[in-house]
Amino acid sequence: MGSGFKIYFFIGKGGVGKTTCAAAFALSLANKGYKTLITSLDPAHNLGDVLDRKVGEEPTKIVDNLYAMEVDFEKMIMKHLKELSNRIKDIYGYLRVFNLDKYIDTLRHSPGVEEYATLEKIIEIIKRNTDNKEYDVLIFDTPPTGLTIRIMALPSISLIWIKKLIELRLKILERRRAIERITGEKIKAIIAGKELEISSIPEEDPIYKELVELYNEIDTINKILTDGEVTSVILVVNPELLPVIEASRAYNFLRKLNIPIKSVIINKVLREKEMILPNELRIKIELQKKALKKVNEIFQGLRMITIPLFSREPRGLKDLGTLSKYLYKLYEGL
Amino acid sequence: MKLQSRVVTLIKMKIRKFIDIVKGTLQAKSIEYIQVELRELENIFALILLGSFIGLPSPPTSISLRLLQHMARELLVMQHVSERLDDMLGEMAGLFEIS
Repeated sequence: MGSGFKIYFFIGKGGVGKTTCAAAFALSLANKGYKTLITSLDPAHNLGDVLDRKVGEEPTKIVDNLYAMEVDFEKMIMKHLKELSNRIKDIYGYLRVFNLDKYIDTLRHSPGVEEYATLEKIIEIIKRNTDNKEYDVLIFDTPPTGLTIRIMALPSISLIWIKKLIELRLKILERRRAIERITGEKIKAIIAGKELEISSIPEEDPIYKELVELYNEIDTINKILTDGEVTSVILVVNPELLPVIEASRAYNFLRKLNIPIKSVIINKVLREKEMILPNELRIKIELQKKALKKVNEIFQGLRMITIPLFSREPRGLKDLGTLSKYLYKLYEGL
Repeated sequence: MKLQSRVVTLIKMKIRKFIDIVKGTLQAKSIEYIQVELRELENIFALILLGSFIGLPSPPTSISLRLLQHMARELLVMQHVSERLDDMLGEMAGLFEIS
């Protein structure tokens, strides 16, 4: 590993075993001496169940070098909304008189709130680690695919918006300068009863400056998310058609955003050679073959990791240790 | 001689005044289009940023919120344009001298 830290996102359909794979990988990294933080962003947490330990909202030590946290979704959303309302209060100071917090419960149901709140949390964790370099590896166990790809798309979408707004702003400033050149004087506007000169030079225009600042802030996080040296997305699928199709959609979408996807874990694969097959499972084996063929077609060029179906659901550090032996390919490039 | 000089000065003043009027008229005419264009660009900027008011898809809330504090002029322009929506066609026709 270089001087910086690594970030891994485990993405996949609900129930494919993202948390189990992520936890097994985190444990193996910790055993190798990398200080690792695994964060569950899934509203339906089961990281604590998989690790068989109580996991809190703040990093909880599991074993040496391994820390885990489960983000309280509701609390995270309320914190995000509280920060929003504080920003509104900063702008409109008089609103302090009215208790804006009363309306937060309603804002909770606005479209997109979950995505913003989750992205903010991811940024917070990454920023904190950039500043204090506490962990060598950050692993994110994500919510089901649909929500995750919307979260990961947010920085790119914001950058597209800001770029367009900057373009438009520059056109406005250009027109203002043209008028100033002809009239020989600054354009004035009456705002709140006061006559004010309005800016025509980008360096003096508060909106342009704010847009550039916003662009730089979001670009920093986008650069981290799209830097193959830092970030890796690991797709987790089961050998069934639906999870494979869903992962394929996520794969195509994330590729468009330049988010590096390096590996696919095919979890819970039935090993027919080692098993005496009951008749009921023959059809499932046939379907599995079809799904595996599709996986090989769609994810060509990615690292493929196959994990067999265990006789019981892996739970606790011992089981995760067994499972982690299958993940050795993930260490490549670490 | 004195009278002649005073007449010349007066004529000069009149010519200067005439030139100023012509210059002002030409200036006003020449910036008229740019002013309308500027107003519309400022209106579009405000509409894009705060378009959710009228059901337009808008950028992520964090962007709108960050810029809101500097948007006084654009909001006034947007309000002005929306107040005069029925009159806009007439204004445009006047601007391009369509009768």
